[in-house]
Amino acid sequence: MNNAVLNSRVASDPVSYDDSDSPQLIKLRGVVKSYNDGALTVMDHLDLDMHAHERLVIIGPSGSGKSSLLRVMMGLEGIQEGTIDFLGTQYITGTRNKPQKLDPRLQRQIGMVFQHYTLFPHLSVLGNLMLAPTKVHGWTKAQATERATQLLARLGLESKLHAYPSQLSGGQKQRVAIARALMLEPKLMLFDEVTSALDPEMVVEVQNVMLKLAEQKMAMIIVTHDMHFARHIATRVVFCANGKIVEQGPPEQIFTNPKEARTREFLEKVVIFD
Amino acid sequence: MNVNFSIVLEYWPVLLRGLGMTVAITMTCALVGSLAGFILSLARTSGNRMLSYPASLYVEFFRGTPLLIQLFWVFFCFPIVLGLSVAPIVSVCIALILYMAAITCETFRGALKSISSDQYDACTALGLSAGVRVTYVIFPQALLRAIPPLLSNVISLFKESALISSVGIADLMFVGQNLSNSTARPIEFLTAVALIYFVVAFPLTRLVGWVERRMLRRFS
Repeated sequence: MNNAVLNSRVASDPVSYDDSDSPQLIKLRGVVKSYNDGALTVMDHLDLDMHAHERLVIIGPSGSGKSSLLRVMMGLEGIQEGTIDFLGTQYITGTRNKPQKLDPRLQRQIGMVFQHYTLFPHLSVLGNLMLAPTKVHGWTKAQATERATQLLARLGLESKLHAYPSQLSGGQKQRVAIARALMLEPKLMLFDEVTSALDPEMVVEVQNVMLKLAEQKMAMIIVTHDMHFARHIATRVVFCANGKIVEQGPPEQIFTNPKEARTREFLEKVVIFD
Repeated sequence: MNVNFSIVLEYWPVLLRGLGMTVAITMTCALVGSLAGFILSLARTSGNRMLSYPASLYVEFFRGTPLLIQLFWVFFCFPIVLGLSVAPIVSVCIALILYMAAITCETFRGALKSISSDQYDACTALGLSAGVRVTYVIFPQALLRAIPPLLSNVISLFKESALISSVGIADLMFVGQNLSNSTARPIEFLTAVALIYFVVAFPLTRLVGWVERRMLRRFS
Protein backbone atom coordinates (compact mmCIF):
# COMPACT_ATOMS: atom_id res chain seq x y z
CA MET A 1 0.00 0.00 0.00
CA ASN A 2 1.17 3.47 -0.83
CA ASN A 3 1.06 5.50 2.35
CA ALA A 4 3.13 8.51 1.44
CA VAL A 5 0.77 10.95 3.11
CA LEU A 6 0.62 9.08 6.36
CA ASN A 7 4.35 8.38 6.36
CA SER A 8 5.16 12.02 5.99
CA ARG A 9 3.27 12.69 9.25
CA VAL A 10 5.14 10.01 11.14
CA ALA A 11 8.54 11.31 10.09
CA SER A 12 7.84 14.47 12.06
CA ASP A 13 6.12 12.70 14.95
CA PRO A 14 7.38 14.42 18.10
CA VAL A 15 5.43 12.34 20.57
CA SER A 16 6.45 8.70 20.41
CA TYR A 17 6.63 7.10 23.81
CA ASP A 18 7.81 3.85 25.35
CA ASP A 19 5.31 2.48 27.88
CA SER A 20 7.17 -0.72 28.72
CA ASP A 21 7.23 -0.29 32.50
CA SER A 22 4.37 2.08 33.30
CA PRO A 23 1.63 0.80 35.61
CA GLN A 24 -1.63 -0.67 34.38
CA LEU A 25 -4.40 1.88 34.08
CA ILE A 26 -7.38 -0.02 32.69
CA LYS A 27 -8.22 -3.69 32.50
CA LEU A 28 -11.36 -4.87 30.69
CA ARG A 29 -12.37 -8.52 31.02
CA GLY A 30 -15.26 -10.10 29.15
CA VAL A 31 -17.17 -6.86 28.75
CA VAL A 32 -20.52 -7.24 27.01
CA LYS A 33 -22.76 -4.37 26.03
CA SER A 34 -25.65 -4.25 23.61
CA TYR A 35 -28.48 -1.92 22.67
CA ASN A 36 -32.12 -2.61 21.83
CA ASP A 37 -32.37 -5.79 23.88
CA GLY A 38 -29.37 -7.40 22.29
CA ALA A 39 -30.20 -6.44 18.70
CA LEU A 40 -27.00 -4.41 18.41
CA THR A 41 -23.94 -5.69 20.24
CA VAL A 42 -21.28 -3.02 20.60
CA MET A 43 -18.99 -4.86 23.00
CA ASP A 44 -18.80 -8.59 22.59
CA HIS A 45 -16.75 -10.16 25.40
CA LEU A 46 -14.13 -7.49 25.08
CA ASP A 47 -10.72 -7.77 26.77
CA LEU A 48 -8.45 -4.75 26.74
CA ASP A 49 -5.47 -3.56 28.76
CA MET A 50 -4.09 -0.08 28.85
CA HIS A 51 -1.08 1.27 30.70
CA ALA A 52 -0.50 4.75 32.03
CA HIS A 53 0.84 7.15 29.40
CA GLU A 54 -0.52 5.07 26.56
CA ARG A 55 -2.60 6.81 23.94
CA LEU A 56 -5.20 4.51 22.45
CA VAL A 57 -6.99 5.52 19.31
CA ILE A 58 -10.08 3.48 18.59
CA ILE A 59 -11.07 3.28 14.93
CA GLY A 60 -13.77 1.32 13.17
CA PRO A 61 -16.94 1.55 11.12
CA SER A 62 -19.76 3.83 12.27
CA GLY A 63 -22.22 2.19 14.58
CA SER A 64 -19.61 -0.22 15.87
CA GLY A 65 -19.90 1.41 19.30
CA LYS A 66 -16.48 3.03 19.42
CA SER A 67 -17.81 5.65 21.78
CA SER A 68 -19.37 3.07 24.07
CA LEU A 69 -16.16 2.28 25.92
CA LEU A 70 -15.67 5.98 26.65
CA ARG A 71 -19.25 6.46 27.81
CA VAL A 72 -19.04 3.38 30.00
CA MET A 73 -15.75 4.48 31.58
CA MET A 74 -17.31 7.83 32.43
CA GLY A 75 -20.41 6.26 34.01
CA LEU A 76 -22.82 7.53 31.35
CA GLU A 77 -23.83 4.02 30.35
CA GLY A 78 -23.68 0.61 31.94
CA ILE A 79 -22.52 -2.77 30.70
CA GLN A 80 -24.25 -6.13 30.73
CA GLU A 81 -21.44 -8.46 31.70
CA GLY A 82 -17.79 -8.38 32.58
CA THR A 83 -15.58 -6.18 34.73
CA ILE A 84 -13.52 -3.05 34.25
CA ASP A 85 -10.66 -2.23 36.61
CA PHE A 86 -9.26 1.25 36.81
CA LEU A 87 -6.01 2.11 38.61
CA GLY A 88 -5.86 -1.46 39.93
CA THR A 89 -9.29 -1.29 41.60
CA GLN A 90 -12.53 -2.85 40.46
CA TYR A 91 -14.42 0.07 38.93
CA ILE A 92 -17.37 -1.24 36.92
CA THR A 93 -19.15 -4.58 36.85
CA GLY A 94 -21.84 -5.74 34.46
CA THR A 95 -25.38 -5.07 35.65
CA ARG A 96 -27.96 -5.31 32.88
CA ASN A 97 -26.76 -2.20 31.02
CA LYS A 98 -27.84 0.08 33.87
CA PRO A 99 -25.38 2.88 34.60
CA GLN A 100 -24.18 2.45 38.16
CA LYS A 101 -23.00 5.03 40.62
CA LEU A 102 -19.25 4.89 40.16
CA ASP A 103 -16.73 5.42 42.93
CA PRO A 104 -16.33 9.22 42.77
CA ARG A 105 -12.67 9.03 43.84
CA LEU A 106 -11.96 6.95 40.75
CA GLN A 107 -14.37 8.74 38.43
CA ARG A 108 -12.79 12.13 39.12
CA GLN A 109 -9.49 10.76 37.77
CA ILE A 110 -11.11 10.61 34.35
CA GLY A 111 -11.89 13.61 32.16
CA MET A 112 -14.06 13.49 29.09
CA VAL A 113 -14.53 15.75 26.08
CA PHE A 114 -17.56 15.31 23.82
CA GLN A 115 -18.28 15.92 20.16
CA HIS A 116 -20.75 18.75 20.81
CA TYR A 117 -18.74 20.77 23.37
CA THR A 118 -21.42 20.44 26.09
CA LEU A 119 -20.32 23.66 27.77
CA PHE A 120 -22.87 25.16 30.13
CA PRO A 121 -24.30 28.05 28.06
CA HIS A 122 -25.43 30.12 31.04
CA LEU A 123 -21.98 30.19 32.66
CA SER A 124 -18.87 32.08 31.58
CA VAL A 125 -15.74 30.20 30.59
CA LEU A 126 -14.43 30.62 34.12
CA GLY A 127 -17.79 29.52 35.56
CA ASN A 128 -17.70 26.38 33.44
CA LEU A 129 -14.26 25.47 34.71
CA MET A 130 -14.93 26.27 38.36
CA LEU A 131 -18.31 24.61 38.86
CA ALA A 132 -17.20 21.05 39.64
CA PRO A 133 -14.09 21.93 41.71
CA THR A 134 -15.90 24.45 43.91
CA LYS A 135 -19.34 22.85 44.24
CA VAL A 136 -18.29 19.20 44.45
CA HIS A 137 -14.65 18.96 45.46
CA GLY A 138 -14.48 21.71 48.05
CA TRP A 139 -11.90 23.93 46.36
CA THR A 140 -11.96 27.58 47.34
CA LYS A 141 -12.86 30.09 44.66
CA ALA A 142 -9.31 31.43 44.72
CA GLN A 143 -7.81 27.97 44.17
CA ALA A 144 -10.16 27.21 41.31
CA THR A 145 -9.66 30.62 39.69
CA GLU A 146 -5.89 30.23 39.84
CA ARG A 147 -5.91 26.76 38.30
CA ALA A 148 -8.46 27.78 35.65
CA THR A 149 -6.48 30.86 34.68
CA GLN A 150 -3.28 28.82 34.35
CA LEU A 151 -4.98 26.16 32.25
CA LEU A 152 -6.68 28.64 29.96
CA ALA A 153 -3.42 30.51 29.45
CA ARG A 154 -1.74 27.26 28.47
CA LEU A 155 -4.48 26.65 25.90
CA GLY A 156 -4.22 30.19 24.54
CA LEU A 157 -7.58 31.31 25.94
CA GLU A 158 -6.44 33.80 28.57
CA SER A 159 -8.48 36.57 26.93
CA LYS A 160 -11.69 34.53 27.08
CA LEU A 161 -11.99 34.05 30.84
CA HIS A 162 -15.22 36.00 31.12
CA ALA A 163 -16.68 35.21 27.69
CA TYR A 164 -19.80 33.10 27.37
CA PRO A 165 -19.72 29.93 25.23
CA SER A 166 -21.93 31.51 22.55
CA GLN A 167 -19.24 34.15 22.00
CA LEU A 168 -16.59 31.55 21.16
CA SER A 169 -15.73 29.75 17.93
CA GLY A 170 -16.14 25.99 17.77
CA GLY A 171 -12.43 25.45 18.23
CA GLN A 172 -12.34 27.75 21.24
CA LYS A 173 -15.37 26.02 22.76
CA GLN A 174 -13.71 22.66 22.41
CA ARG A 175 -10.49 23.95 23.99
CA VAL A 176 -12.53 25.29 26.91
CA ALA A 177 -14.18 21.86 27.21
CA ILE A 178 -10.72 20.29 27.36
CA ALA A 179 -9.64 22.78 30.02
CA ARG A 180 -12.78 22.01 32.03
CA ALA A 181 -12.03 18.30 31.89
CA LEU A 182 -8.42 18.96 33.00
CA MET A 183 -9.35 21.02 36.06
CA LEU A 184 -9.24 18.10 38.49
CA GLU A 185 -5.95 16.79 37.06
CA PRO A 186 -7.30 13.51 35.69
CA LYS A 187 -5.08 10.51 35.05
CA LEU A 188 -6.98 9.57 31.91
CA MET A 189 -8.61 11.72 29.24
CA LEU A 190 -11.36 10.47 26.95
CA PHE A 191 -11.94 12.21 23.63
CA ASP A 192 -15.15 11.28 21.84
CA GLU A 193 -14.92 12.50 18.21
CA VAL A 194 -14.02 15.93 19.50
CA THR A 195 -13.19 17.42 16.10
CA SER A 196 -16.07 15.91 14.11
CA ALA A 197 -18.35 18.93 14.54
CA LEU A 198 -15.63 21.50 13.82
CA ASP A 199 -14.91 23.48 10.69
CA PRO A 200 -11.68 22.25 9.08
CA GLU A 201 -9.63 25.29 10.05
CA MET A 202 -10.50 24.75 13.70
CA VAL A 203 -9.64 21.09 13.78
CA VAL A 204 -5.91 21.72 13.99
CA GLU A 205 -6.10 24.09 16.95
CA VAL A 206 -7.90 21.42 18.96
CA GLN A 207 -5.59 18.65 17.76
CA ASN A 208 -2.57 20.75 18.73
CA VAL A 209 -3.89 20.96 22.29
CA MET A 210 -4.25 17.19 22.35
CA LEU A 211 -0.71 16.77 21.03
CA LYS A 212 0.52 19.06 23.79
CA LEU A 213 -1.18 16.83 26.35
CA ALA A 214 0.46 13.85 24.68
CA GLU A 215 3.88 15.45 25.15
CA GLN A 216 3.03 15.75 28.83
CA LYS A 217 2.41 11.98 28.87
CA MET A 218 -1.32 12.23 29.53
CA ALA A 219 -3.03 8.87 29.09
CA MET A 220 -5.79 9.16 26.50
CA ILE A 221 -8.40 7.11 24.72
CA ILE A 222 -9.42 8.82 21.51
CA VAL A 223 -12.26 7.99 19.18
CA THR A 224 -11.76 9.71 15.83
CA HIS A 225 -12.44 9.41 12.13
CA ASP A 226 -9.31 11.41 11.32
CA MET A 227 -6.78 8.75 10.35
CA HIS A 228 -3.93 11.23 9.90
CA PHE A 229 -4.40 12.44 13.42
CA ALA A 230 -4.87 8.89 14.71
CA ARG A 231 -1.52 7.92 13.27
CA HIS A 232 0.12 11.04 14.60
CA ILE A 233 -1.01 10.81 18.21
CA ALA A 234 -1.57 7.11 18.93
CA THR A 235 0.84 4.83 20.71
CA ARG A 236 -1.58 2.03 19.89
CA VAL A 237 -4.40 1.84 17.38
CA VAL A 238 -7.33 -0.44 18.14
CA PHE A 239 -9.53 -1.43 15.24
CA CYS A 240 -13.00 -2.56 16.32
CA ALA A 241 -15.82 -4.04 14.30
CA ASN A 242 -19.00 -5.78 15.41
CA GLY A 243 -18.16 -5.37 19.07
CA LYS A 244 -14.82 -7.14 18.84
CA ILE A 245 -11.24 -5.96 18.60
CA VAL A 246 -10.21 -7.12 15.14
CA GLU A 247 -6.66 -5.92 15.32
CA GLN A 248 -4.49 -3.66 17.45
CA GLY A 249 -0.93 -2.47 17.39
CA PRO A 250 1.39 0.47 16.86
CA PRO A 251 0.08 2.93 14.27
CA GLU A 252 2.84 2.13 11.74
CA GLN A 253 1.79 -1.49 11.73
CA ILE A 254 -1.97 -0.89 11.55
CA PHE A 255 -1.77 1.77 8.89
CA THR A 256 1.00 0.38 6.67
CA ASN A 257 0.80 -3.32 7.17
CA PRO A 258 -2.47 -4.48 8.69
CA LYS A 259 -2.65 -8.23 9.25
CA GLU A 260 -6.39 -8.65 9.05
CA ALA A 261 -8.31 -8.38 5.79
CA ARG A 262 -11.15 -6.61 7.66
CA THR A 263 -8.77 -3.86 8.80
CA ARG A 264 -7.33 -3.41 5.33
CA GLU A 265 -10.80 -3.20 3.85
CA PHE A 266 -11.80 -0.51 6.34
CA LEU A 267 -8.66 1.56 5.84
CA GLU A 268 -8.98 1.44 2.09
CA LYS A 269 -12.42 2.99 2.46
CA VAL A 270 -11.51 5.81 4.82
CA VAL A 271 -7.97 6.83 3.88
CA ILE A 272 -7.26 8.62 0.63
CA PHE A 273 -3.95 7.43 -0.76
CA ASP A 274 -2.16 9.23 -3.56
CA MET B 1 -72.61 60.05 13.26
CA ASN B 2 -71.46 62.18 16.07
CA VAL B 3 -68.20 60.98 17.60
CA ASN B 4 -66.60 62.99 20.35
CA PHE B 5 -63.62 61.55 22.15
CA SER B 6 -63.36 64.42 24.61
CA ILE B 7 -65.94 62.65 26.75
CA VAL B 8 -63.35 59.92 27.39
CA LEU B 9 -61.10 62.52 29.00
CA GLU B 10 -63.87 63.46 31.43
CA TYR B 11 -64.06 59.89 32.69
CA TRP B 12 -60.32 59.27 32.53
CA PRO B 13 -59.87 58.67 36.31
CA VAL B 14 -62.60 56.02 36.26
CA LEU B 15 -60.93 54.21 33.39
CA LEU B 16 -57.58 54.42 35.18
CA ARG B 17 -59.06 52.84 38.29
CA GLY B 18 -60.38 50.02 36.11
CA LEU B 19 -56.94 49.57 34.57
CA GLY B 20 -55.45 49.51 38.07
CA MET B 21 -57.77 46.64 39.01
CA THR B 22 -56.93 44.74 35.82
CA VAL B 23 -53.16 45.16 36.36
CA ALA B 24 -53.34 44.22 40.05
CA ILE B 25 -55.32 41.06 39.35
CA THR B 26 -53.09 40.13 36.39
CA MET B 27 -49.88 40.56 38.38
CA THR B 28 -51.14 38.66 41.42
CA CYS B 29 -52.44 35.77 39.36
CA ALA B 30 -49.39 35.71 37.07
CA LEU B 31 -47.01 35.47 40.02
CA VAL B 32 -48.90 32.90 42.08
CA GLY B 33 -49.97 30.99 38.97
CA SER B 34 -46.40 30.76 37.64
CA LEU B 35 -45.07 29.43 40.91
CA ALA B 36 -47.86 26.86 41.02
CA GLY B 37 -47.13 26.06 37.36
CA PHE B 38 -43.46 25.41 38.09
CA ILE B 39 -44.30 23.02 40.92
CA LEU B 40 -46.85 21.38 38.64
CA SER B 41 -44.23 20.96 35.88
CA LEU B 42 -41.89 19.22 38.33
CA ALA B 43 -44.74 16.88 39.25
CA ARG B 44 -45.61 16.29 35.61
CA THR B 45 -42.03 15.51 34.55
CA SER B 46 -41.25 13.39 37.61
CA GLY B 47 -41.08 9.67 37.00
CA ASN B 48 -43.62 9.09 39.76
CA ARG B 49 -47.04 8.30 38.25
CA MET B 50 -48.84 9.22 41.46
CA LEU B 51 -47.65 12.76 40.75
CA SER B 52 -47.43 12.95 36.98
CA TYR B 53 -50.88 11.54 36.15
CA PRO B 54 -52.95 13.92 38.31
CA ALA B 55 -50.78 16.83 37.12
CA SER B 56 -51.34 15.88 33.47
CA LEU B 57 -55.07 15.51 34.01
CA TYR B 58 -55.23 18.91 35.67
CA VAL B 59 -53.30 20.62 32.87
CA GLU B 60 -55.28 18.99 30.07
CA PHE B 61 -58.57 19.84 31.76
CA PHE B 62 -57.79 23.51 32.22
CA ARG B 63 -56.27 23.84 28.76
CA GLY B 64 -59.19 22.05 27.17
CA THR B 65 -62.07 24.07 28.60
CA PRO B 66 -63.00 27.72 28.04
CA LEU B 67 -61.70 30.13 30.63
CA LEU B 68 -65.17 31.68 30.87
CA ILE B 69 -66.72 28.43 32.09
CA GLN B 70 -63.86 27.94 34.57
CA LEU B 71 -64.51 31.42 35.86
CA PHE B 72 -68.25 30.84 36.19
CA TRP B 73 -67.74 27.49 37.80
CA VAL B 74 -65.40 28.83 40.46
CA PHE B 75 -67.58 31.88 40.96
CA PHE B 76 -70.99 30.18 41.20
CA CYS B 77 -70.33 26.53 42.05
CA PHE B 78 -67.36 26.70 44.44
CA PRO B 79 -69.29 28.53 47.17
CA ILE B 80 -72.21 26.11 46.88
CA VAL B 81 -70.06 22.97 46.83
CA LEU B 82 -67.85 24.13 49.68
CA GLY B 83 -70.65 25.81 51.58
CA LEU B 84 -68.51 28.93 51.99
CA SER B 85 -69.15 32.48 51.01
CA VAL B 86 -66.19 33.66 48.96
CA ALA B 87 -65.63 37.31 48.01
CA PRO B 88 -66.07 37.79 44.23
CA ILE B 89 -62.56 39.16 43.85
CA VAL B 90 -61.10 36.08 45.57
CA SER B 91 -63.18 33.82 43.33
CA VAL B 92 -61.91 35.35 40.11
CA CYS B 93 -58.33 35.30 41.36
CA ILE B 94 -58.62 31.60 42.17
CA ALA B 95 -59.99 30.92 38.70
CA LEU B 96 -57.25 32.88 36.95
CA ILE B 97 -54.53 31.28 39.10
CA LEU B 98 -55.81 27.79 38.29
CA TYR B 99 -55.76 28.69 34.59
CA MET B 100 -52.33 30.34 34.72
CA ALA B 101 -50.87 27.35 36.59
CA ALA B 102 -52.02 25.02 33.82
CA ILE B 103 -50.52 27.03 30.97
CA THR B 104 -47.22 27.89 32.72
CA CYS B 105 -46.81 24.24 33.67
CA GLU B 106 -46.48 23.53 29.96
CA THR B 107 -44.05 26.42 29.55
CA PHE B 108 -41.74 25.11 32.25
CA ARG B 109 -42.11 21.55 31.02
CA GLY B 110 -41.02 22.66 27.54
CA ALA B 111 -38.05 24.52 29.00
CA LEU B 112 -36.98 21.49 31.03
CA LYS B 113 -37.30 19.25 27.98
CA SER B 114 -35.33 21.64 25.77
CA ILE B 115 -32.19 21.03 27.83
CA SER B 116 -30.35 18.42 25.80
CA SER B 117 -29.09 15.13 27.18
CA ASP B 118 -25.56 16.39 26.43
CA GLN B 119 -25.90 18.75 29.37
CA TYR B 120 -26.78 15.87 31.67
CA ASP B 121 -23.85 13.86 30.26
CA ALA B 122 -21.48 16.75 30.96
CA CYS B 123 -22.75 16.91 34.55
CA THR B 124 -22.13 13.20 35.04
CA ALA B 125 -18.68 13.44 33.47
CA LEU B 126 -17.78 16.26 35.84
CA GLY B 127 -19.00 14.21 38.81
CA LEU B 128 -21.72 16.68 39.77
CA SER B 129 -24.21 15.43 42.35
CA ALA B 130 -27.92 15.56 41.54
CA GLY B 131 -28.35 18.58 43.81
CA VAL B 132 -25.55 20.57 42.17
CA ARG B 133 -26.80 19.54 38.74
CA VAL B 134 -30.34 20.81 39.31
CA THR B 135 -29.35 23.96 41.21
CA TYR B 136 -26.48 25.21 39.08
CA VAL B 137 -27.02 23.70 35.63
CA ILE B 138 -30.60 22.62 34.93
CA PHE B 139 -32.76 25.10 36.85
CA PRO B 140 -30.96 28.29 35.69
CA GLN B 141 -31.15 27.18 32.07
CA ALA B 142 -34.82 26.15 32.35
CA LEU B 143 -35.72 29.49 33.94
CA LEU B 144 -33.83 31.52 31.31
CA ARG B 145 -35.47 29.61 28.51
CA ALA B 146 -38.90 29.93 30.11
CA ILE B 147 -38.78 33.72 30.39
CA PRO B 148 -39.98 34.62 26.87
CA PRO B 149 -42.95 32.20 26.85
CA LEU B 150 -43.74 33.16 30.47
CA LEU B 151 -44.01 36.79 29.43
CA SER B 152 -46.29 35.75 26.59
CA ASN B 153 -48.45 33.90 29.11
CA VAL B 154 -48.67 37.03 31.23
CA ILE B 155 -49.75 39.08 28.22
CA SER B 156 -52.52 36.64 27.36
CA LEU B 157 -53.60 36.57 31.00
CA PHE B 158 -53.76 40.38 30.95
CA LYS B 159 -56.10 40.27 27.94
CA GLU B 160 -58.13 37.23 29.06
CA SER B 161 -58.74 38.90 32.41
CA ALA B 162 -61.36 41.05 30.63
CA LEU B 163 -63.64 38.05 31.17
CA ILE B 164 -63.88 38.79 34.89
CA SER B 165 -66.06 41.78 34.02
CA SER B 166 -68.80 39.24 33.30
CA VAL B 167 -69.14 38.48 37.03
CA GLY B 168 -69.13 42.14 38.01
CA ILE B 169 -65.50 42.82 38.97
CA ALA B 170 -64.78 46.48 38.27
CA ASP B 171 -61.83 45.95 35.95
CA LEU B 172 -61.02 48.01 32.87
CA MET B 173 -63.47 46.09 30.68
CA PHE B 174 -66.30 46.38 33.20
CA VAL B 175 -65.75 50.09 33.69
CA GLY B 176 -65.57 50.69 29.94
CA GLN B 177 -68.78 48.77 29.31
CA ASN B 178 -70.60 50.62 32.07
CA LEU B 179 -69.45 53.99 30.83
CA SER B 180 -70.45 53.23 27.26
CA ASN B 181 -73.92 52.19 28.44
CA SER B 182 -74.53 55.04 30.85
CA THR B 183 -73.26 57.73 28.48
CA ALA B 184 -74.56 56.03 25.31
CA ARG B 185 -71.09 56.51 23.81
CA PRO B 186 -69.97 52.94 22.98
CA ILE B 187 -67.70 53.97 20.09
CA GLU B 188 -65.65 56.35 22.19
CA PHE B 189 -65.37 54.20 25.30
CA LEU B 190 -64.90 50.79 23.73
CA THR B 191 -62.26 52.23 21.41
CA ALA B 192 -60.52 53.90 24.33
CA VAL B 193 -60.57 50.66 26.33
CA ALA B 194 -59.14 48.71 23.40
CA LEU B 195 -56.39 51.31 23.04
CA ILE B 196 -55.56 51.15 26.73
CA TYR B 197 -55.21 47.34 26.61
CA PHE B 198 -53.01 47.73 23.54
CA VAL B 199 -50.81 50.44 25.04
CA VAL B 200 -50.06 48.21 28.02
CA ALA B 201 -49.68 44.94 26.09
CA PHE B 202 -47.65 46.23 23.15
CA PRO B 203 -44.46 47.16 25.03
CA LEU B 204 -44.71 43.80 26.79
CA THR B 205 -44.84 41.90 23.48
CA ARG B 206 -41.85 43.93 22.27
CA LEU B 207 -40.07 43.03 25.49
CA VAL B 208 -40.72 39.35 24.78
CA GLY B 209 -39.10 39.71 21.35
CA TRP B 210 -36.11 41.49 22.84
CA VAL B 211 -35.62 38.91 25.59
CA GLU B 212 -36.00 36.12 23.03
CA ARG B 213 -33.28 37.55 20.79
CA ARG B 214 -30.95 37.88 23.76
CA MET B 215 -31.68 34.30 24.81
CA LEU B 216 -31.01 33.05 21.30
CA ARG B 217 -27.66 34.80 21.29
CA ARG B 218 -26.76 33.17 24.57
CA PHE B 219 -27.92 29.69 23.71
CA SER B 220 -27.17 29.36 20.00
